[in-house]
Amino acid sequence: MAVSTFTPIFHITPNQSNSLLFSSKFKLPRNKIKPNFTKARVFAALSDPFVLQIAETLEDSHSSSPPHLQKLRDFSSESLLSAHWPSRKDEPFRFTDTSFIKKSQIVPISTPPLPQSLNLFDDSEETQFPNLVIVDGYIVDSVSNVSGLPDGVFAGSLSNLDSEVIKKRVLDFVSSSDGDLFWSLNGVGAPDLVVVYVPEGCVVETPLHLRYFSDKGEEKESNKLPVSNPRLLVLVEKGGEIGIIEEYVGGEGEKCYWTNSVMEVVVGDGAKLTHSYIQNQSLQAAHIKWTSVRQESTSTYKLIEVSTGGKLSRHNFHMQQVGPDTVTELSTFHLSITDQTQDLHSKLILDHPRGITRQLHKCIIAHSSGQAVFDGNVQVNREAQQTDAGQLTRTLLLEPRATVNLKPNLQIIADDVKCSHGAAICDLEENQLFYFQARGIDLQTARKALIFSFGAEVLDHFPNKSIQKKVESHVKQLLVPSLSSQ
Amino acid sequence: MAVLNYSSPSPPSLISSFKNSTSISHLFTVPATRRRSFPSFRIKSSLAVESPAASGTSNGGESPKILLQVKDLTAVIAQTEQPILKGVNLCIYEGEVHAVMGKNGSGKSTFAKVLVGHKDYEVTGGSIVFKGENLLDMEPEDRSIAGLFMSFQSPVEIPGVSNIDFLLMAYNARRRKLGLPEYSPIEFYAYIMPKLEVVNIKPDFLNRNVNEGFSGGEKKRNEILQLAVLGAELSILDEIDSGLDVDALRDVSKAVNGLLTPRKSVLMITHYLRLLEYIQPNYIHIMEDGKIIKTGDISIAKLLEKEGYKAVSAT
Repeated sequence: MAVSTFTPIFHITPNQSNSLLFSSKFKLPRNKIKPNFTKARVFAALSDPFVLQIAETLEDSHSSSPPHLQKLRDFSSESLLSAHWPSRKDEPFRFTDTSFIKKSQIVPISTPPLPQSLNLFDDSEETQFPNLVIVDGYIVDSVSNVSGLPDGVFAGSLSNLDSEVIKKRVLDFVSSSDGDLFWSLNGVGAPDLVVVYVPEGCVVETPLHLRYFSDKGEEKESNKLPVSNPRLLVLVEKGGEIGIIEEYVGGEGEKCYWTNSVMEVVVGDGAKLTHSYIQNQSLQAAHIKWTSVRQESTSTYKLIEVSTGGKLSRHNFHMQQVGPDTVTELSTFHLSITDQTQDLHSKLILDHPRGITRQLHKCIIAHSSGQAVFDGNVQVNREAQQTDAGQLTRTLLLEPRATVNLKPNLQIIADDVKCSHGAAICDLEENQLFYFQARGIDLQTARKALIFSFGAEVLDHFPNKSIQKKVESHVKQLLVPSLSSQ
Repeated sequence: MAVLNYSSPSPPSLISSFKNSTSISHLFTVPATRRRSFPSFRIKSSLAVESPAASGTSNGGESPKILLQVKDLTAVIAQTEQPILKGVNLCIYEGEVHAVMGKNGSGKSTFAKVLVGHKDYEVTGGSIVFKGENLLDMEPEDRSIAGLFMSFQSPVEIPGVSNIDFLLMAYNARRRKLGLPEYSPIEFYAYIMPKLEVVNIKPDFLNRNVNEGFSGGEKKRNEILQLAVLGAELSILDEIDSGLDVDALRDVSKAVNGLLTPRKSVLMITHYLRLLEYIQPNYIHIMEDGKIIKTGDISIAKLLEKEGYKAVSAT
């Protein structure tokens, strides 16, 4: 028997009207961690020794500290004083077991990769796009190539940014207080800040490919977990446009490591960002990722995510609307083919009128100890009139005992809005299978086609066809063994 | 209650032996418009209370062969074991067009689904022989490849699978079975383009996902496109006329008529005379409570249209 837990705040099946009007007020007691300098001192007595220990080792790992990151580090350290390691009793981690990280000996990666390991990344993966190679959180300029970008567009380390004006503007958006414990740990541990800057009115035609590699991994038996803290800030000024491909790849073999990544995004007035995010880490890795997006008026942000790797993978997605008429599209696909946990916690906060959000989340669990978690929060606040928010999640459980925990939740205060959400958990539909059979296609081929097509709905959103093809064939390759065993 | 069967062509006519001779006068008048010439001995299909021992084996020479022979077929809903089919007897020769009519819930669609092996139903008795083979032993996909095609009354949507991929998959499954090399997508395009014209649909239809967001008419056209691409010796058209406007009905009927050859047969399920005026049947069967209670020609459908099912009901 497949297990599923489904706890909506309220629930509308996708087959019902997509344009339901809610005037009722929903407000949940929120459990938001808001680190605060003064409060941190008060709560210092409540510190979690395990968290302090990681924070200390991360602090000690930096030999020198770039001056522009000092403020971020100080504030992050402060907030860690009052933070505790999440347990299953904390609502945001109710279904996500992080003990895999806690039980390991966490070792910060404090040095950039050795030159001899670099050729691995140079040839292993050809890319046709301007690209940055980021190994264990460090940019490796020698194998990166950003020469194809237009004038005025910057992609690289903050320390290489010449303009003090832009540097100051970028730093204004670096936040020490947006996320949870993992956000703060990244703030302490990030060795560098990778910046992508698109100036006003600049439309970048070719996407920028950010290739994240994990070089230092340990064998499973060692119980060691090297941790890296890549940090990225993308600032697209008014009217600018760019496509970003964020790709995470594990090194050779299924190594143990922990990538604790933070990405901050600012999409200016009328600007447009298409964000492709491919998570293909080692199946023994922990991958915690934050994406925090600020959308100014009439801006467009699109996310297409495919997460297939990691033993524990969590994506915290946070969108804050800071102006009216924004468009936000999230299409995400998670796949668990072994005893993996794939977790998406998304929060869309709408404070201005006429925002449009479209969220589609799909999961396939193809292993009896595989698990997926989805917490989809949409807040439509008082000023956010005429918001049009749609959310749909579908999960395919292919094995007995495969687990999914879904928690779609809408909090609506504005009274003139269209909001819908739906959640479905299913095996392949008998009727669809029969339709294939009735046309002469055998059951196994039909199952395969239907399972691939399930994810295709998300993969079709990739703006770049070569990336889509690559991800498609990777997903197929992952699914084939679990299909043939059926 | 009469059970109808056509015996194999050899035995002499038994019509005269049937008691209810008054209603027989209009039976088995083959419409003159059918292209295929009917050897006179073919119209001696008999009415018999017990099933004939005839099999689908050839009677030698040019005489048409039996394509489908259904005997005393009974079936229940697999989940609830509720009986739906209660002894269906039907025999279809090559080149014949049959229509099944009957009230809602009389078992028409169930009969069609049982023929193609739908898992919602369980066959509890009787036999189905198609081209001399026991259909009940075959998986649904093998029945399809053997030449049986059913157009679905309301075909299911399959998001994420494009029409062209689906058709190519189905077509290549056939070619594989026949030991032929599979078609590449490009070869397949060349093959499929003329078929699109047959059902009067645009090529961009092929890139859409199977039945996803299709209108009622588009779904039916798509079913007939699949029939045109895959071909079939016996096409079972389950309410192919429901939800169609006049133009679409004409297109669909034209396409079906275009696909008919002297060897191919059609079994239509319909509620309306209108379809039968486009695709003219040799025989019309009335189904009631899981059985075929009457068989005749187009005049039965006309009577139905005028007076309703009470005019033909067995009770």
